[in-house]
Amino acid sequence: MSEPEVKEVVTGSQPEMTDAVISLKDISKSYKVGPSMVRAVESLSLEIPRGQMVSIVGHSGSGKTTLLSLIGGLTKPSSGRVLLDGVNIWTLSDKDLSILRNKKIGFAFQFASLIPTLTALDNVRLPATFGGATGADEKRASDLLALVGLGDRAHSYPAMLSGGEQRRVALARTLMNEPRIILADEPTGDLDEDTEADILETFHKINSEGVTIVIVTHSRAVASQAQRVLRMHRGHLSEEGEYDG
Amino acid sequence: MGGMKRLGLIYLAGQNLRRKPFRSFVTVAIVGLAAGTLFSATLLIGSVQRSLEVGMARLGADILVVPEGQAESGEEALITGSPTSFYMDGAILDQVRAVPGIDQASPQLFIESMVSSQCCTGHVQLVGYEPESDFVVGPWLEQNLSRPLDKDEVVIGSLILANKGEQVHFYGRNFDVAGVLDGTGMGADESVFMRMRDAYQMAVESQTEAETTLDIRPGQISSVLVKVTPGTTIDQVAQRIKTGVPGTMAITANELSRSVTDRLSGFLRGFFALDAIVWVMSLLTIAAIFSMIVNERQREIGLIRAMGGSKNFVFRLMLTEALMLTALGGIAGIFVGGAALFIFKAIITSSLGIPYLWPPLWYFGIMMGGTLVLAIITGAIASLYPAISSSRLEPYFAIRQGE
Repeated sequence: MSEPEVKEVVTGSQPEMTDAVISLKDISKSYKVGPSMVRAVESLSLEIPRGQMVSIVGHSGSGKTTLLSLIGGLTKPSSGRVLLDGVNIWTLSDKDLSILRNKKIGFAFQFASLIPTLTALDNVRLPATFGGATGADEKRASDLLALVGLGDRAHSYPAMLSGGEQRRVALARTLMNEPRIILADEPTGDLDEDTEADILETFHKINSEGVTIVIVTHSRAVASQAQRVLRMHRGHLSEEGEYDG
Repeated sequence: MGGMKRLGLIYLAGQNLRRKPFRSFVTVAIVGLAAGTLFSATLLIGSVQRSLEVGMARLGADILVVPEGQAESGEEALITGSPTSFYMDGAILDQVRAVPGIDQASPQLFIESMVSSQCCTGHVQLVGYEPESDFVVGPWLEQNLSRPLDKDEVVIGSLILANKGEQVHFYGRNFDVAGVLDGTGMGADESVFMRMRDAYQMAVESQTEAETTLDIRPGQISSVLVKVTPGTTIDQVAQRIKTGVPGTMAITANELSRSVTDRLSGFLRGFFALDAIVWVMSLLTIAAIFSMIVNERQREIGLIRAMGGSKNFVFRLMLTEALMLTALGGIAGIFVGGAALFIFKAIITSSLGIPYLWPPLWYFGIMMGGTLVLAIITGAIASLYPAISSSRLEPYFAIRQGE
């Protein structure tokens, strides 16, 4: 149901010929922190093929989260181009960019990112609302909560859930609109081993269905789950290796 | 699982407002105060205007002629029904009738009844009128009774505590209530109208029948109600009476209205000044609260944008929250303001000496709608800047700054 709108966005902006679903062309990002200028990402280029699971590792402050936000169109690069499916996303209007984020990208943040005034079920449904859903999405949201093992907590508010449960609700929300790209920022940070294993298993499952996944992580164990590992260091990116996954 | 609920803008905005109930309540209260003050003030104006319109139409006179020095008492009797007694020689009626430009002139006799229950049915204004020349009570009698008043019959104002067919007594004399006049909000509502000859008879009999006597000489009158010839200027005729009939004061209907609006304007000036201050306060409060809200919810705003909410959606979400609060405040203000006026109406009207008649429903509707629209506009203006700035937040920085 959502696909035609995405195509419209993509075709409306004359996509460049590329095999990569994510393509960064010589991008830099600087921003001011107090009086000084921080160069979070410098002259970085990257291509990620469709269906690849990539992890990005690096020290705190190395620019990993900024890079993820650049890929997802949450921040505009100071220079360079960000192409998703060959479309330079910063040539799109805010409305079209919002549709693209809504239909194509699923974000999983490193903190409990739920809306406190909505139940777990409504939090999961929220992306569908921005996509124009009219209520029929409730079944899918319930199924996703069941998938992350929280089928019985659908009507609980975030304050009534543990940190791990909140993460799992957020993951269900990430999957709500069946995104083709998932951008996850420390998705398993400060979680117990069992929850971490559950989340990684879910990532593997959806990756096997052709979804491209980019995970920012400090964890070697999590990084090693990806087919490809990239290292960020002071705004620069280097290839660390490829795994069979 | 409950019914399929739509997570629309209104639902999300409502949920947001519920998370800080005290803050939402304070915002609603301050808008309610502004709206309530405005609504009750405009309702008061409307009621006084309506009362003047209906009262003046009932009076049917263009000019009221009273003894010199009694202008204020005469006005008071007509506007508020405050009982009064003053007299002048009946010959004045002929002098008034002789003034050019006068179409009709009819005398009235004012008698203040006593508080004593043995004397009278309440402390009211008794008005004797001359059936032959009267144009105040006569038309009403013609419409509602289809006959003139008989001996010892009265028609009473709407606020007199008696019904048609009952008896009332004044100064030792019983009168039958032949009818009850419709409310005007003015003095007529607290007046009892009787034939002038019955009033004279009552005065004579009071010497022997009543505990308090009435000192009225036959032929004396209190006022002359004047209708000018169509096409004649009322002010000109009033001026002619003032100069041509010594010992009298001529008060025009316009002057009567102006007297009422003058009494009201001082009060309203203070009221509107207070209201303006409250409106500005509510505007600033809403602006401050929504700036605070934007700050508090930066991360959520960033999340909404990451999930596909557009700038326009965030803008509308903030605006909807503000409009919901101000609309609620407006509605609360209308009800509380209206109720306050209803409860304190008697105190306000008696302390200001103004007539009062609830306006028609359409006026209520317009005032309610106008107040509500103003409240909503206030919300829109106050939240505009916070709403715009929230929509302009870059999602990445909104999320990070909110962490």
